[in-house]
Amino acid sequence: MQARGSRLHTLVGAYVLDAVSEADRASFERHLPTCEQCQQDVRGLREAAARLGQAAAVSPRPELRDQTMRAAAMIRQQPPLVVSQKRQFPAGRRWQQVSRPTSAGARPWLARVALAAAVVLAITATVFGLHLSSMQGRLSAAEQRDAAIASVLGAHDATTLTAKVTTGGMATVVMSHRERALVFIAKGLTRLPAAQAYELWLMSPAGDTPAGMLPPARRGMSGPMVVNRLGSGEQLAMTVEPASGARQPTSVPVVLVTLGS
Amino acid sequence: MAGSDRADDRPDGRPSGEARRDGLEIVLTQVARGDHAAFRTVYDKAAPAVLGIVRRVLRDPAQSEEVMQEVLLEIWRTASRFDPSTGSAAAWIMTMAHRRAVDRVRSEQRAAEREVRAATASIAYDEVSDAALTSLEYQRVRHCLDGLTDLQREAVTLAYYRGYSYREVAQLLGVAVGTVKTRMRDGLIRLRDCLGVE
Repeated sequence: MQARGSRLHTLVGAYVLDAVSEADRASFERHLPTCEQCQQDVRGLREAAARLGQAAAVSPRPELRDQTMRAAAMIRQQPPLVVSQKRQFPAGRRWQQVSRPTSAGARPWLARVALAAAVVLAITATVFGLHLSSMQGRLSAAEQRDAAIASVLGAHDATTLTAKVTTGGMATVVMSHRERALVFIAKGLTRLPAAQAYELWLMSPAGDTPAGMLPPARRGMSGPMVVNRLGSGEQLAMTVEPASGARQPTSVPVVLVTLGS
Repeated sequence: MAGSDRADDRPDGRPSGEARRDGLEIVLTQVARGDHAAFRTVYDKAAPAVLGIVRRVLRDPAQSEEVMQEVLLEIWRTASRFDPSTGSAAAWIMTMAHRRAVDRVRSEQRAAEREVRAATASIAYDEVSDAALTSLEYQRVRHCLDGLTDLQREAVTLAYYRGYSYREVAQLLGVAVGTVKTRMRDGLIRLRDCLGVE
């Protein structure tokens, strides 16, 4: 490493602690994209610094909570997820693979089908410029999915697993045995050609079951996806498949997470 | 370099200490979609830590509450910008909180050249509320801080809990600027490794 780089690299601690001047901060941030080691260090040291902060936690006055919520209601957010998804989805076809084949009448299954249908409707509405009441349907499907996510995250036995994706990126799974469900999210996945997509699977000695196609990433983030009706001794896997989805995995999993306790 | 090897690539795909997450990442994606209930969850999880660090740096309770709310609203506004590949949601939030508190201090400092208060690092990290003292998290961090050399600990805590720049820390401790920079880095690395191994 050249001298200038290592001089800047020494600054990593002070940078993470916000103990640098603005000029230092600017030159370190210019250096950062070219220095993988620095990025890794910043990441790890930020986690450590955050723990220092968390150790100093104090309870805010209770009334601040409502004040903050009211203020948030008046503040416009940066554009939400659904906007770029509508733009990126070439077709709704791939969503047909979302549901798992067995099952009679499990509600989360319905939620996913409803979500798939709603996304197709939303795309149709966008493409043909239709303004229709199906927007209502889209909202309630999103709400149902959020409820499914909340029930997993809120479960007492919720556990988080993370795993590296062999082709790049990181997968995070929050699962609840009690709810027999998991929430999957991935970041930094390698971008695939249009004809391909990532597909999730539940794998067990009894066979492999499709668990949904991963929607295109948005700002490096894919998901969240809910997978229901987990059995015991299963593994969650992700493979690269044709964009229309596959009935059985046709390639080696790029990530494999053991869900058993 | 010492401490550059990481423990988060365990072949069995199980989470390691470093990769430990509490689901806040996923709640943030819901916040990005305008979900107020999710934002309430984020508030409940993050506001105490945000207020804690802001108050350490700023001292003034009213101003601290104001900055805490600013940080929470910033989370609300920019949740869609959160990129998990750069770290955990907690680190993203605390980075935002600390930087905002420090920026506030520095801008006041520019307005009225702050006198460098005589302070010692032991005070900097011992001043905690009774509530914090009993928390497990505080005990663990405290234990790990005890594993640092005196100079590492002073450099890290004066910067983080007081919002001092490395130049100010150098002046305060009477050591060279370069020494302070390396102690900050080495101290944080040691802290990271200590907290990461559980």
